[in-house]
Formats: sequence, C-alpha cells, structure tokens
Amino acid sequence: MAEEEEDSVSGDEIIGYRQQPGKLPFSRPGSGGKNRFSEATDPEKIPISQGGSLEQPWGPHRHDELVSGQIIGKPTALVDSSWKVTGRAHYGDDVRLPGELIGRIVRSPHHYARVLSIDCSKALELPGVVAIATGEDAKNRFGVLPVTKDEHAMAVEKVRHAGDLVACVAAIDEATAREAERLIEVEYEILEPIHDMRKGLDDSEEPIHDRGDYHIGESNIQKRVFQEFGDIAGMSQKSIASHKKSWLFAGVNHGFTEPHAVVANWDPSGRLTLYTPQQVPHYLHRALADVLEIPMHQINVHRTFVGGGFGGKSDPFPHEMCAAILARKSGRPVRITFDREEVYWVNRGRHPSRIEMNLHADKEGRICGIETDALIDGGAFASFGHVTTYYNGVLHTAPYEIGAFHYTGARVWTNKPASGAMRGHGAVNSRCAVEVGLDDLAEELGVDPITLRLANLLPPHSATITGFRVTSIGMRDCLERVKEESGWDKKFRKLPLGKGIGIGCGFFISGSGLPIHWDPNKFPHATVHLKVDMDGGVTIHTGAADIGQGSDTVVAQSVAEVLGLPLDMIRVKSRESDTSPVDLGSYSSRVTFMNANAAISAAMKIRDELIDATVEITGAERKGLVIGDRRIFLKSDPAVGVSYLEALHKAQEDRGALVSSGAYRTPPMGRTHKGAAAGLAPAYSFSAYVAEVTVDVETGQTKVDKVWAAHDCGKALNPLAVKGQIIGSCHMGMGQVLSEEMRYGRNGNLMNPDLLDYKIPSVHEMPEVVPIIVESNDPEGPFGAKEAGEGPLLPILPAVCNAVYDAVGVRTSELPMTPEKVFKMIEKRCRNEGVSDPTELECPSLQYSELQKTLEERGEKHKSRDKERRLDEDRGDYYNGALFGLDPSTPPDEVDPRWEVRVTPDEVYLASPRLAGSAWKHTERRHMEGTK
Amino acid sequence: MLPHPDEVQWNGTVNGEEASIFIESNAILLDVLRDKIGSLGTKRGCDMGTCGCCSVLVNGEPKLSCLTLAIDTNGADITTVEGLADGHHLHPIQQTFAEFGGSQCGFCTPGFLVVISALLSNNPQPDEREIKDAIEGNLCRCTGFQQIVDSVKAASEILVSGNVVGDSTSPKSDPHPGFGGN
Ligand code: FES
Ligand code: FES
Repeated sequence: MAEEEEDSVSGDEIIGYRQQPGKLPFSRPGSGGKNRFSEATDPEKIPISQGGSLEQPWGPHRHDELVSGQIIGKPTALVDSSWKVTGRAHYGDDVRLPGELIGRIVRSPHHYARVLSIDCSKALELPGVVAIATGEDAKNRFGVLPVTKDEHAMAVEKVRHAGDLVACVAAIDEATAREAERLIEVEYEILEPIHDMRKGLDDSEEPIHDRGDYHIGESNIQKRVFQEFGDIAGMSQKSIASHKKSWLFAGVNHGFTEPHAVVANWDPSGRLTLYTPQQVPHYLHRALADVLEIPMHQINVHRTFVGGGFGGKSDPFPHEMCAAILARKSGRPVRITFDREEVYWVNRGRHPSRIEMNLHADKEGRICGIETDALIDGGAFASFGHVTTYYNGVLHTAPYEIGAFHYTGARVWTNKPASGAMRGHGAVNSRCAVEVGLDDLAEELGVDPITLRLANLLPPHSATITGFRVTSIGMRDCLERVKEESGWDKKFRKLPLGKGIGIGCGFFISGSGLPIHWDPNKFPHATVHLKVDMDGGVTIHTGAADIGQGSDTVVAQSVAEVLGLPLDMIRVKSRESDTSPVDLGSYSSRVTFMNANAAISAAMKIRDELIDATVEITGAERKGLVIGDRRIFLKSDPAVGVSYLEALHKAQEDRGALVSSGAYRTPPMGRTHKGAAAGLAPAYSFSAYVAEVTVDVETGQTKVDKVWAAHDCGKALNPLAVKGQIIGSCHMGMGQVLSEEMRYGRNGNLMNPDLLDYKIPSVHEMPEVVPIIVESNDPEGPFGAKEAGEGPLLPILPAVCNAVYDAVGVRTSELPMTPEKVFKMIEKRCRNEGVSDPTELECPSLQYSELQKTLEERGEKHKSRDKERRLDEDRGDYYNGALFGLDPSTPPDEVDPRWEVRVTPDEVYLASPRLAGSAWKHTERRHMEGTK
Repeated sequence: MLPHPDEVQWNGTVNGEEASIFIESNAILLDVLRDKIGSLGTKRGCDMGTCGCCSVLVNGEPKLSCLTLAIDTNGADITTVEGLADGHHLHPIQQTFAEFGGSQCGFCTPGFLVVISALLSNNPQPDEREIKDAIEGNLCRCTGFQQIVDSVKAASEILVSGNVVGDSTSPKSDPHPGFGGN
C-alpha cells in the first residue's frame, strides 16, 4: 500500500498515462511485463517495407506491418522449457490420480488367428482384479481416416498381427494386472499369415480385412493408385540417358523416448477425461465418441506433454479405448503404460517398401520422365495408408520440372504391426530413390549433379506436373549455399578412396490442403482464441499439440510479435479439448503454417482495438500509429503515444476482457482428377544437403563426417527451433540410411523390439551438422514461414547414399546400408573388376561432357528468371511443361492431348504391369460380374 | 492377492531430504523413486538399460535406476532431476538446456541433466570428446545431440566464470536503475 501511494505521488513520471485529478489513487499500470519501461524499437528487426533496415531480398510480405520487432526471428527458448528442465513436465505415465488402477493388455501371440473364445473366469477370481474387457465391450470400428476405419479397441473375431489386442484388465497394482493378463485364456484358430508384401497382391483364402463391395478382388490390397501426367509416350523416345533401380527399404520405427501411456477417468458427472500424449487429440476425440457411443461433448481429451511423436502418436489408438472402457467398468481411473516392446507392436512407423524407380533425361539434360512403382507394406491396419500410397508418388513431382510422370502405387495388408505416418510421411523412400537416380543420371550425362538440379528447377509461383501450386521456392538458394559451404567443387569426385561427398534434395508439404475429416461445412483447419484482461497478460487458447517441436512457442511468439509484448506476458493453454478450439493436430507439418496464421489473425483483432483506444486517448491519426515494445505510438513522433496497459484499459471500458478468435483455412487450389487433393498444400518446403562420409573399404563401415544442411523454411520464426529440427532430422534419417530396421525373422517374428537391437545412432555416430536456414518469405505463411519439421529429413538419405558412391563406387539398392551390405557390394565390385585388394579399387571419376556448359548456362538464366518472378507482382502463370517448349500460361493437358491426365491403367499397361501396378489386375468386388 | 516379497526398510537421502520407507525386497530403484518417493521427473523409457532416461545420481555417480535394485542403494545419497536446482535458482545446465535447444520434447532431458551435472561437478571444463563420452548412454530422438553438446559447453562457461543463474520467479533486472525493479 505504501508503495502504491508513493507511486501515485510521483505520478507523471510515466509518460502517457492519464492521471485523473481528484480521483482516488489507483496504482498506475506501467507498461506491463517484468521490465517497467518499453525499449526503443530496433530498426534491424523492422522490414525495409516498413521503414526499418531488415533486408527483404524476396520482397515485402503481407504481415510486414504487424512486425513490432519483439520476438520473431530471434532464437527463443521453448516457452515450456523450464518445466522440462526441472523434471516438472508431466507426460502420459506421470498423470497419477487418486484411486488409480493399473491396466494391462492381453496380446495375441499369433500372427493371424480367429479368436474362438476368451475365458476370463480365472483372472476375475484373482484378488485385486477389478475389471476386464474384451472386444465384445466395444464393437464399433475406428481409424484415423474416415474412409478406412478398420480397427477395434480389441479383437472382434480375428487378431491380425502378433501383439494385436485381445483383452484388457485393470487391477490394483501392476503385478496383479500382469498376473491377470496371464490368467486370461484365449482359444485361437490359427490362420495362414502373410509376411511378404508381394504376397499381399495375390488373392487369398482369407483376406486380412473385408472391405465389402469395395474390396479389391480377394486380395490384401488396401489401396492402389495409378497416375500418369505429361508426355508418357515421349518419355522413352526422347531419352538419351536412363536410370533404373529396384529398391528395398526396411521398415523403421519412430523410436520416441516416451512409450505410449494413457490415463482415463470418468468423473461423477459422467464425463470422461482422457490424459494422453497425443499428436492429434481431435481425431482421437472423434474416435472415442464413436467407440464409447457417447457424444463428443461428454469427453475431455487432455494432451499431456508428449515425449516425442514423429507421427507415431497420431492415430487414435486401441489402448486409449481400452483405458476408457476399463475406467468406465471399474468406476476408477485407469492408467496403462507400455513396455518398450509394446511400442513396436503398435508401430505406425515407416512402411517397408519395394520401389522401382526409372528416370529419363533427354539430350538437353531435362528430366523427361520419372516412372515410379511403389509397393508398400501396410501391416495389419489401414492407419494413414490411403494417404501414404499417394505420397509415395506425388511428393516427388517437385522441385524439378519434368516431362512425364508415371506412378503406380499399392499398399497391402500383411500380418505385421501396422505401418503409418512417420516424419517425412510417404515421401522419404521414394525421394531417396529419385535423388540417387539423379546422381546416376548426372554421371551418365557427364554433368555435375548439382548443376543438373539447378538447371531443372521449377520457378517460384508455378504449378507442378500434378497441379500442385508452388508459391515460394528457395531450392536454388539451398543448393547454392551447400555447394559453396561444403567446398563441393574441390571435393566432388576428387576425394581419395574411402572418402566421399554427396548431394540430396527434398520437397515437402507445409500442411495438407484438405483436413482428414473433410467437412463440407468448411470448418477452419485451425482456430485460436485470445483473452486479454486487466493484468495485461494474454491467454492463448489453441488446440495445437506441442510434441516438442515448439508449437506453443511459435503461437506465443506470433501473438507477442503482433501485440508488441514480451514472451513472458503470453500464456498458452493448449491442453484440453474442453477449453481449446478445435485444431486438427500435429501432422503433415501444418502447425506453424496454420496455427500461427490463425494466431496472427486473432491478435490483429486485439491490435485493432488497442489502436482504436490509442486514437481515442491521444487524438492521433490512426494511420500513423505503430506498436513497439508495450507501447503504441506515432511512428513520426514516438513521444506521442500510450503504454500498452493504458490502451488496454481504455479498450476494456464498459466491456471487460478483450477476446478474439482467429482462424485459418487453406485457399481453394489444385486440380480435379481422382486423388488430386493428396499432396496439396498451401506451401512447400525445400531442402538440399551435402554429406561427407568415410567408408572403410575393408569392413564396409560407413561414418558420416559432416553434413551441410540447407532448408528453406520460408522464415525462421524461431531459428533455434528450426536448427534443432534440421539437426534432429539428420539424426533420424541417418539412422534409417545406416542402421535402423524393424527386422522380421523367417517366420515373421519381429526380432528387435527394443532399443538395443533397434539401432538408433548414438552421440558418437552423429556427424557435425551445419544447419543453413534459407528464407524464401512465403506470401501466405505467417510472417513468411513454412514448415521445418519433416522436410529436413528427406535429403539426408540420398546425400549419404550418393556420398558412399563417391567414396567407394558402389550404389546400394537396400536400406539400411549396414556394413555387411556395403562390404558385399565392395566385394562384388572387386570381383567384377578383377581387383583382389579392395584398397586398390579405383575412385569413381567424372569427365564432364559438353552438356555441362549448356546446363550451367541454363541454370544461370533460370536464376534471373526466378528472381524476376518472385519480385514481380504481375507475373503470369507458369505450368510445368514450359521447359519442354509448351506455353507456360495454360495447363498442358488442356491444350496438348499427349499430356492428358490418366488415373486408371489401360489394357496395354495391364498386359505387363510392374510390381505394385499389378494390383490393378484385380477388379473391385462391386464391379465383378454377379454382384452389382 | 499375489504372493508379495517381504517388505524391507529403505533409508536414504533423496534430493537432500531423508526418506525412510518400506519397500519390497526386490523393488527396482526407478519404481521406488517414481511410485513411492514421487520423483516423476525420473523417466522410464525402456526399463532395460538402453535409453538413459531413468538416470539418477547415487552418491554422485550416474546410475540407471531401472537396472538398480533399490535395496542396493540403502543409505545412499540420491539426486534426481528435481534435486538439481537450488530453490528457484536453476543449475547452469538446466538454464543452458533451455536456451540452447538441449531439450525438445524433454522426455530424455532429466536423464541427460543428471548425467551432465555429474560430469560438470567432476570436470567443469570438459572437452567435446569428454562430453560425448559422458552422454553416450543417453538416447535422444529429437535433438540429434548437437544442441545438447552446445548446452554443456555453455554451462561449463557459466560454471567457470562463476556467474550465478538468476531466480526464475523474480522480475528481470530493470534497465532504468533507481526506479523500482531490482
Ligand atoms: S529406462 Fe532405464 S535405461 Fe531406459
Ligand atoms: S528431447 Fe525428445 S528425446 Fe530428447
């Protein structure tokens, strides 16, 4: 009190706050925040377009005038980091409710079997067992994609992989629950399992699922895709160089450190709260309502801290249903935590895949055709597979301009734990195949692989061959930066035997154009609510799931920037579906793009109100007012203005807290052919990596020494987090290319469901990574930003493969490239070349052809073309095909019959289809004779 | 009821506080810490010694609590992640983990922090090799380790310079001294 009075007498020291003579003393609001005074705006943080000195080589951005210089672009600690470093961040298993029971799951020991009977009587007799549930208790199907709901909480009729759920039990402690699990007796009739994905293409006595009328023959094909774009016939006629390779990619697991865990609690009012580390709480919310047969509003999905997701915590899971069912039956909270082994049984990791990749180049060094055939092993359930099947094709139709694209893809069910979405969803394996192919093609053409790429890039504001709208593209800058920083020209094909350098590129969606639950009601993809009360702190309500990537931080940063507030005045409430507006979740790298955009539009509304209030107080003209650090003032005369709190309190008069809502929905875009929506995104990220490796020619051991990793994320809102994502992606991709593999034995048993035998690179295997951030300032991204979470994983695989070739002259067609495999290839090369000692092998070398010069010139020309296009507001359209002499302003398929789009195969193709393409030999049941 | 092993008394000091509790004779230290002591900061990532998330200090030495019989630590002085900060004053490595991106999802973080705090107390100026050797048993799937190593280097600098880390609950220093603030 004494302090307050003292403050009130020395009143006019705070400029701009109105003292009201004769009124009761009221503590002055100051400027808000921990520091009492605002800091002067730093011109280096303000874009040139707004009179500051921040360079904008890619032109101005629509959010420029919202920049207050607070926090965007500064390396920022995650807003929840203090919780994490003190051990006070609570993850799934850390939720402890009074009276909790421990749940355990009874799992199938068989790969494929019919469940004949389940006898729970012995288990029920065990003292301490409180509830048991089986498939009978919840018969409704669910699945993350509404078109392929094929999962049950527990087996109904059949189990489909070893580890599939059969029953679950809740008991007073873990020991009792484990004992009860053992006492539940299940009688099975064993069925013939399928382990080899190729077998999934055949008709089977008992397909793993039955899709009714939509079932494809009697096979285990879950999804098939056929797509042809561009001049398919011309592709091989014009080609002077071709690359052809059949790949086998092992399945990999996300390997997050936190095993799945869930706590379910029904409160006395009959509402369910489910605490779970989920990436996609909203789809779980929907699935719970379906399975439990209660309305959604009766459920509160509470996302705990998530100990790593990478796509592996984005399906609604059966164990989440089990916890809810057990809690309902027992009337007590139930906690289920997985053993590490169970994590592998749930899986949803990257698909084991067989990919055939053919590339063609014409005499001008243009990529006149890409032919891809991808058979992917979906395991026992559909999961995201529908989308994955498309992504294996469409996500490698850029960044290059191509003359033709032929894709056949099929996803089959097998009796393995289900594959699903994993960082770089569907794009990683086929991208690796393309980029290795380009390296090979460059060699055949006698040109530098970076030059080849630079001469074949799509320009900014263009459309890919599949009709994706590309806005900003920083691919050229990425390539140029890694080329220069790695000293490429001095090293490529010039290093001694055993040392090599390689390049790889990537292209990835920044959010998916259509939400999974496509809704004709035109709901937004992301919604953010703000509330600002007298204290000046801003509460953000968002449903975006922070899984460690820093989504809470990015949303807080966006709001702080627009309102000119320090980050400590922002609090993010993103946990509970009860209070958060619906957000579709953390998948397909959508959060920064969509959520930050929604946050900005919500903050703009508050900003407008603050400026209105300032006009009212100062009488200044609205147009000239800007926001700086907790102060709103005239740009031309910064002395005229008010503090943030003063404006806020004025705006609050007669109405109390300011609240606002902002939303984001993708603009209409894309084509209309079947499958056109898959791969559509409001923006795309690009990346180029150079890897330098050492291969021991005598053992086949590969060590990655250094990686130069350039990623175009549009604008790094938080450079610290972007770099973290790039380095982390390198680590994960390196695992896949060198050591990680879900290893299945001859009988289909998973051999390595633990972190000892599933080999994730340790700190010693990790190379030095030089993250290079390229900012292409996306016109629609929040402050220009695009994704940085998944795209950065793609280039590392091919970069390492290509570097290994540069080092020892062998090209793998199988991942992971374990030392055994590399050594075998070296041995083979020795045999072929009649060399007895591998250390005497010759280094690969490259003689440039005349084409090199042509491509260099074309690259330079395109560079100026790109620069013009990105700065020119009135640029015309640019459709893929212009490089091949077509009119850039119209989609080629509309004017040239050779470029017609085809989505079903013709007789000619079916006469000799490729592996996955043979899926089209079957007829869907509804089209079979005898049925309708 | 299942037959339970005998309960035995376990005495120890956890984060400076004496504890005297009854545990089953075959209890694992990780379970005791999480379920009985309430140290939920100590994480279970694998339960079989492969991830390092459960690391704690037993008499100053890093140990995997999931592979340690609680009874073997009778009388020991145990430090978990919750014991690293001094009240609201964070240990330098906690501070730098936040500032340098050492923690993304944060699940591996407690394990890294205790291991690194032991490293730094024995060797306040470790070189890169020594840092990597110290954390080789800890798995992080998010960061690719690089920003963790950066954090250790930064913490080492703080330790060597003797600058104390501020209290996270106090207002930040005032750029205009003499007018309130601290
Ligand atoms: S939980 Fe102890 S090492 Fe993984
Ligand atoms: S921060 Fe996620 S595992 Fe290390």
